[in-house]
Amino acid sequence: MKKVLGNKGAISLFVVPALILYSIIVVLPVLWSFYYSFFSGSPGLKWEFSGVKNYIQLLSDKNFRNSLIVNLKYIGIVMIGQVGGGLLMALMFRFWLKRFKNVVRTIVFFPVVLPTVAVGQLFAKIYEIQPNYGLLNSILSAVGLNALVQPWIGQASTALGSLEVMDIWTGIGFHSIILYGALLDIPDDVIEAGRIDGCNGFNLFRHILAPLLRPMIITCMVFSFSGTVKLFESALALTNGGPGNATRSLSMYMYSVAFTYNKVGYGSVIAIFIFLLCITGSRIINLFDKKESYY
Amino acid sequence: MTDKVKQNISGILIKVVILIICLVDIYPIFWMITASLKEQYEWSAFPAFALPHGLYFQNYIDAWTRGHMSTFFRNSLVYTMVSLIFIVFFSVTVGFAVTKMQWKFKKAVADYFQLGIMVPVATALIPLFQIYNKAGLYNTGWSLIISYVAFGLSLSIYLVTGYLRSFPDEIMEAAVIDGCGIYKLMYYVVLPLMKNAIVTVLVLQFFFKWNDLLFSMTFVSNTSLKTVQTGLMYFSDEFGSKNWGAIFASVSMSILPMLILYTVLNKTIIEGMTAGAVKG
Amino acid sequence: MKKKVLSVLLSTTMVLGVLSGCGGTSTESNNDTASEAPAEKSEEATAESTEAASEEKTEEAKEETTEATETTAATGDFSGEDPQLEKDFHILSIWAEDNDNGVLINNICKAYQEVNPNFTYEYELVSSDDLRQKVATLVASNDLPDMFVYESGKPIVDLIEADQIVDIGAMLNEIGSTDFVTPSATSLLETLSGTDTIYDLPLGLNVEGFWYNKALFEQAGITSAPVTWDEFEEDLAKLHDAGIQPLACGAADKWGATRLINAYTVRTLGADALKNAADGNASYTDEGYVAAAAKVQEWADKGYFGEGVNTVDMNTAGSMLMTGKAAIFYNGSWFASNLNDTSANAAGEDGIGFFNIPTVDESVSAIDSYSMNCGNILCLSKAKEDEATKWFIKYFVEHIGDEAMTTQGSIKGYTYSAQASEMSAYTKLVLDEIGKAQSAFTWYEATMNSEVSDAAQSNVQMLLSGEMTPENYMQSIQDAADMSALN
Repeated sequence: MKKVLGNKGAISLFVVPALILYSIIVVLPVLWSFYYSFFSGSPGLKWEFSGVKNYIQLLSDKNFRNSLIVNLKYIGIVMIGQVGGGLLMALMFRFWLKRFKNVVRTIVFFPVVLPTVAVGQLFAKIYEIQPNYGLLNSILSAVGLNALVQPWIGQASTALGSLEVMDIWTGIGFHSIILYGALLDIPDDVIEAGRIDGCNGFNLFRHILAPLLRPMIITCMVFSFSGTVKLFESALALTNGGPGNATRSLSMYMYSVAFTYNKVGYGSVIAIFIFLLCITGSRIINLFDKKESYY
Repeated sequence: MTDKVKQNISGILIKVVILIICLVDIYPIFWMITASLKEQYEWSAFPAFALPHGLYFQNYIDAWTRGHMSTFFRNSLVYTMVSLIFIVFFSVTVGFAVTKMQWKFKKAVADYFQLGIMVPVATALIPLFQIYNKAGLYNTGWSLIISYVAFGLSLSIYLVTGYLRSFPDEIMEAAVIDGCGIYKLMYYVVLPLMKNAIVTVLVLQFFFKWNDLLFSMTFVSNTSLKTVQTGLMYFSDEFGSKNWGAIFASVSMSILPMLILYTVLNKTIIEGMTAGAVKG
Repeated sequence: MKKKVLSVLLSTTMVLGVLSGCGGTSTESNNDTASEAPAEKSEEATAESTEAASEEKTEEAKEETTEATETTAATGDFSGEDPQLEKDFHILSIWAEDNDNGVLINNICKAYQEVNPNFTYEYELVSSDDLRQKVATLVASNDLPDMFVYESGKPIVDLIEADQIVDIGAMLNEIGSTDFVTPSATSLLETLSGTDTIYDLPLGLNVEGFWYNKALFEQAGITSAPVTWDEFEEDLAKLHDAGIQPLACGAADKWGATRLINAYTVRTLGADALKNAADGNASYTDEGYVAAAAKVQEWADKGYFGEGVNTVDMNTAGSMLMTGKAAIFYNGSWFASNLNDTSANAAGEDGIGFFNIPTVDESVSAIDSYSMNCGNILCLSKAKEDEATKWFIKYFVEHIGDEAMTTQGSIKGYTYSAQASEMSAYTKLVLDEIGKAQSAFTWYEATMNSEVSDAAQSNVQMLLSGEMTPENYMQSIQDAADMSALN
């Protein structure tokens, strides 16, 4: 057994090609952009060594700070929405849904399939106010809530919320399916035993299900986190970062700095920041896992 | 009695809630198809959720011919399929090597691959472009396939390792005792048992690759080599004028293969996803 | 008269060109390169009859020649037959082959292939949103295509300073085709890049102003299009009182809104107002600039733009005008192509009219001064330039004017001798307006670098939604200018 699984030739055959490819195509560009971060301008355009100037600039950059705040707010809400909402849906499917399980599961997964451009456009039409009321405003005005009719994505106060709702909608199905699978893996007799011990409803969840689901919830959170940190496409499709800078994420800011402002060097600094944020975030989530799983 | 009424009411309530969830999820696809049949003037004259006034199939004709959908479709299919083969191959082998096999650096290598999930893709564009340019791969299908494979590895390996951790060692031991070498073991024992995980990787990566626009726009300049998502660009101009009908016709056509794939495989996918992830 | 203005113009651009030449060597010259205000320039009436154009052509050609020869002496002889040099020409564009300028470029290339069978070309399309990224990537690996679409004004200054693109003024002079680009387009482009020669070829010569729905004007009891700003505001009020949405504005596309601020700024402060602010001779936070922002916010507060203007894109705004949901819409002359589309234009062939931006004070900015631009422009890669390129460009500039006129009835900034076979009323309207233009001014962001322009554009939505005061809005632009001057 050990000999078979310790076969050096097989290991290198299995790992080395992928390792080389991955190192050149994914890791090398990251290191490369680290090198870029010490230059001002853009390769070919005013490209000069500038030391750590870019890093210093980052500290006092108001736009950067704004994007960071927007991004963090977004991560918080969307993670809770996608994972929490997904969990609720999964529980519903597990305990309440008796028939049509397959059909329902198929349907909730649909949004994952749609291209972001299409989703963005769809929601823009739902939030529409001019020239015609979109679905949301029409419903509000039909039920007499005219005071609530507003340009959802046209004002800074509601734009980020509208974007968050859209992305929760897109991701919730995915997470509910994963969590539903995890729930199915919990044997019925464990739940029955819990019931007999007098656990019901929330208590059942709190004491029986939650601990068993923890690893899966953590995985979902890592998924959701690494997706939300890199918020780019959906914001581009729905609001294009506006109004003002209300929905401009770190990635969007990096993109405009690098390609619109022609400052690839400074853009690289922001990219590195995103990368570090991503790693730190997932580490924190994973830490949470290990610490609490002992009891 | 009251209990029964209560149960009935809550039963109905649950049904209503689930029905609403389904409606909310189906509606966009329905809407998109109706949208793809609208004439241009309908977009401002009537609310967006209104049904189209006629079936304006010209949008599909425009999308297919003007948007070069026929070429792009074929390209996307080829790039996606080829890269999926590599992704599956690499993720299974690497995944197996870092979980089940015994060597010194396996934990480090697994972590190293996991880092890739965190890389913001836009950063890599300029360096990658230079790499491809120097290697003579710029403006070839290979530049896309290579990027798709490399950027698909991290997530795929992550999924596969999650699944493999729960993979029972006993089966492998039995096979080894029967005289299987490592390659036979992989092919006859491990691979068939990983069907679900493989399907999951396939489908998720298919969605990601099929929807790619950034890479295909950057690394390929020849129109005859471009992909489906680029077709959408043919219907908007520099001053923000957009032919929404044709855009949604293109989108509807581009999600068709995904919908088919998903509907056919949905049971396996969902089993694979749940099984693959849970034991992670 | 015209000629006198032109010579003044030429001398000013030359002087300023020298200044900018010095600035060009320093790393940060973004703000000192623009030449004299374009308002001083005579916009040569490009829409004039062919005879007039060719008559003036020779004289201006001479003047331009003296200006451009300093840089390069003619190397080859480009007067004879095309030598049919072999060339694979790569074009990067944002228009599909069957759309807008894409048609023209492709037609010219195909026609040129008959002259030179050894010429092949590859036409690449990127979305206009990704143009900057694509070009940045190509520059980084020194691989710019032979010809590519780009943005005029500040964006090309970076390319000029990095010595990436061809001095087209010199090239045209060398191949003897200078006089095929109209002087008005040339001077506009020179002004925009702040150089004494052109580095880009125009792909349009557009005027901008207000398109209005005639039926709605009548309904509100307005008899004629406004000429002065006071009349304009009265009309807006009348329309509003009549229950008509006075203005459609595509603020989702941002520039649709900043153009309105620009309109008032220029009419109250003169054509060089924004250049002064960009150069630091004035501050964006000065009273006059704030007043213009306040004006647009006032309209938004009064509900002139309807609800949620920030969610409306230019496309929707345009169709609102055509379907009678709004009375007035600011856009450029290119909008005529939408109006010509009978399936989209519910207002019909004579339902929409045009008026120039009304004046506040004739002596500051007169009614025959128009906001003009050259649309997106074409640049040539310096690294790829060779003899064959020159021959192609020679063919290109000498034929595109006619091609544009015959196939689309549009003016691209080149001389033409053909007549459009069938000119629609809207096309004619546009040609007339261009003909009326005696001087020009540029758009709001033309003198701003991309960071400043970004601030101006994204924050204008906050201005419209009332979440930012006019003072804060102008302050945000000034802050961005200060920031970018620092590094």
